[in-house]
Amino acid sequence: MAGHVTVWSWNIAAESLNSIRPRFEAHDPKVHVIVDMTGAQMQMRLMLSIVAGVGAPDVSQLQNTDAPYYIATGRLTDLTSVAGKYRAEFPAAVWNSCVLNGHVYAVPWDIGPCAIYYKRSIFRRYGIDPNQIDTWDRYISAGSEILAKSGGRTKMLPMGSNDLSTLFGILLQQSGGQIFDGQGRIAIDSPQSLEALDVLRKMRMAGITSDVPTYSQEWMAGLTDDSVATYPGAAWLSGMIKDSVTAGKDGNADWGVFRLPAIEPGGLRVANVGGSVLVIPAQCRNKPAAWAFIEYALCSREGQLAQYRGSGIFPALLPALHDPSMDVSDPFFDGQMVSNLFTTDITKITPLNKTATWTEANGYLNEALSHWAATGMTKEDIFKPLAQTMSRRLMVDLAPGVSNVSGAAVK
Amino acid sequence: MIENKRQELAVEPNTAPKTNGLTRGVRHANWFSRYVRYRHFYLFISPFFLLFAVFGLFPLLFSFCLSFVNWNGLTAMRWVGLQNFRLMLGDEMLGTALWNTLIIGLLYIPPMLVMAFLLAQLLNAKWLQLKAFWRAAVFLPCVTPMVVISIVFSLIFSSEKGILNYVLSVIHILPVPWLTSEQWSKTSIAILVIWRWTGYNMILMTAGLQGIPVETYEAAAIDGANSFQRMMNVTVPLMMPTFRFCILLSLLGTMYMFDEIFVLTNGGGPGTSSLNVGMYLFDLAFQDFKFGYASCVAYTIAAVVLIVTLAVNRLNRSQEKEFVS
Repeated sequence: MAGHVTVWSWNIAAESLNSIRPRFEAHDPKVHVIVDMTGAQMQMRLMLSIVAGVGAPDVSQLQNTDAPYYIATGRLTDLTSVAGKYRAEFPAAVWNSCVLNGHVYAVPWDIGPCAIYYKRSIFRRYGIDPNQIDTWDRYISAGSEILAKSGGRTKMLPMGSNDLSTLFGILLQQSGGQIFDGQGRIAIDSPQSLEALDVLRKMRMAGITSDVPTYSQEWMAGLTDDSVATYPGAAWLSGMIKDSVTAGKDGNADWGVFRLPAIEPGGLRVANVGGSVLVIPAQCRNKPAAWAFIEYALCSREGQLAQYRGSGIFPALLPALHDPSMDVSDPFFDGQMVSNLFTTDITKITPLNKTATWTEANGYLNEALSHWAATGMTKEDIFKPLAQTMSRRLMVDLAPGVSNVSGAAVK
Repeated sequence: MIENKRQELAVEPNTAPKTNGLTRGVRHANWFSRYVRYRHFYLFISPFFLLFAVFGLFPLLFSFCLSFVNWNGLTAMRWVGLQNFRLMLGDEMLGTALWNTLIIGLLYIPPMLVMAFLLAQLLNAKWLQLKAFWRAAVFLPCVTPMVVISIVFSLIFSSEKGILNYVLSVIHILPVPWLTSEQWSKTSIAILVIWRWTGYNMILMTAGLQGIPVETYEAAAIDGANSFQRMMNVTVPLMMPTFRFCILLSLLGTMYMFDEIFVLTNGGGPGTSSLNVGMYLFDLAFQDFKFGYASCVAYTIAAVVLIVTLAVNRLNRSQEKEFVS
């Protein structure tokens, strides 16, 4: 095997791949990897070069949620023969978006297991024990306590009414709901969706939410002042928090992490948000070399662990994820061992079925949720009309009943 | 210039008599030899036509063809005939977008034009010092980068930490959910648009004001008209064409308004309460990758806009004639 492999990727993900390049090249000395940090225009450039049939890289990063759209175009290399054997080594939640009709077209890279980031100082001041918060109900009552004791100054969490679909998606995974069923039909109109919606409503009614758009100036400001106590989010959010919050001399920022509260006592306390995959466009001339790099970077414990240590990218590969060396204490979080906390039960997540129209469907969901929020969250059921809208605009049938909601991967 | 050209044409040796079928070939050769003769000039004006053909004409024709297909940009196009147009008739989101466009337009165009007119009057006054400075100050929002505007205005309009709500609370008015309520989102956009585009319209109106002959004012003054009467009976009628031009530009601007909505309400929120036609087209084409349907909607809207523009222009012309006669 020999030749050059160009890779398109962005941000810390690109840096992370770049950092393992020397190790890979020691492994496969005749293959040279060039990681191109293509930045913001990457999606469009990739799409154009895939349409044109020339100019695409040998390997490209895609967001987990975008993968089904690209896979459906039929312009990615079928990796079933070489990647199929790794199926059991990745959580179903992320493997799902890499497969179409039983064929594998992408390999999961990282995952975004969610937890709650909290400010230890605020919890100490008001005497709240994060270990007691194991359900959303308790989370809400802790929030109410903080709100009352701070004289209304400190809200429990930011919840922008323009961007509720992320938090709703977390809750939907916990309740076992789906947007699409196993056959790609609309399954959003379900008791599970109502359950998730109910948690959002209770938070809003308790007055513990701060209505600021996600990642806006005000949202960022909440990281460093006392206006917000906790931030529910994925593991990759810690990068943003660490960038904004000044830690003490010893690197301790007096922040902490506790596991996602469950909807019901004893329920699932984890969810996955985001994550990426790597693909090989069909036009790639040197597929064996491209695959060799992907296999090393994503399917080997060594490659994934090196990326976690270097850039904090949470490996999707289960053997790496469960490696004892993963769990090191993080000074930023007061020496807390956070990675096990994030990944416990990760394999128990009901994967959300992704289809090629996922992004569009998510847009309608977000619209319906923001409409619901703007009208005071009083409406009991928003999903019947939403399911109708989705069905009509995506030209997909409604799932019959709700019994087959938790179906298998889209086949 | 024209005279020169006519003379040149006249001395052309092969000039054939008009409307003679037999000499058509000769006439073609004639045209061709003219192209050859003036090739340098054609070469000089060619860059525009080449660029226009590639980046203007081709996309125009291509998107017309796209109106009749289903295409997501990656897979093969599928001919669907008029199905896109049929879909469009039942598209309730397009209806919402058109309605929102109308409401946003009604909310901002009248106050903006009145303010622009009054400012133009004020900054055109003889007694005013530092005219250029004031004009530049009013015009500045229009050239301010949208990124800056977006940050500043989201801080102003923020429901919880916004300056505007703070000011309201000082004067004992309850906070307004500027961007988080469906009732207020259009108003917030209208406020931003007024702030951003009043200066631009003011410049247009200043130009209009300066085009009014001084004699008309002098005549009115001699007839004993006071300054208010002069404004109502001289300035306003003579400014009518400028007003119509400004209204037309604003209508078009509302239809295809994009960045204001994109940055302020997260692209049309909450719900679809501030989704306008431009934003909806963007969503269709570049979020949902429905290029065929998006082209179909765009073409239909463009046709409507064209008709409205022509109607307004016709109105303009007929009224001008009336005024002259």
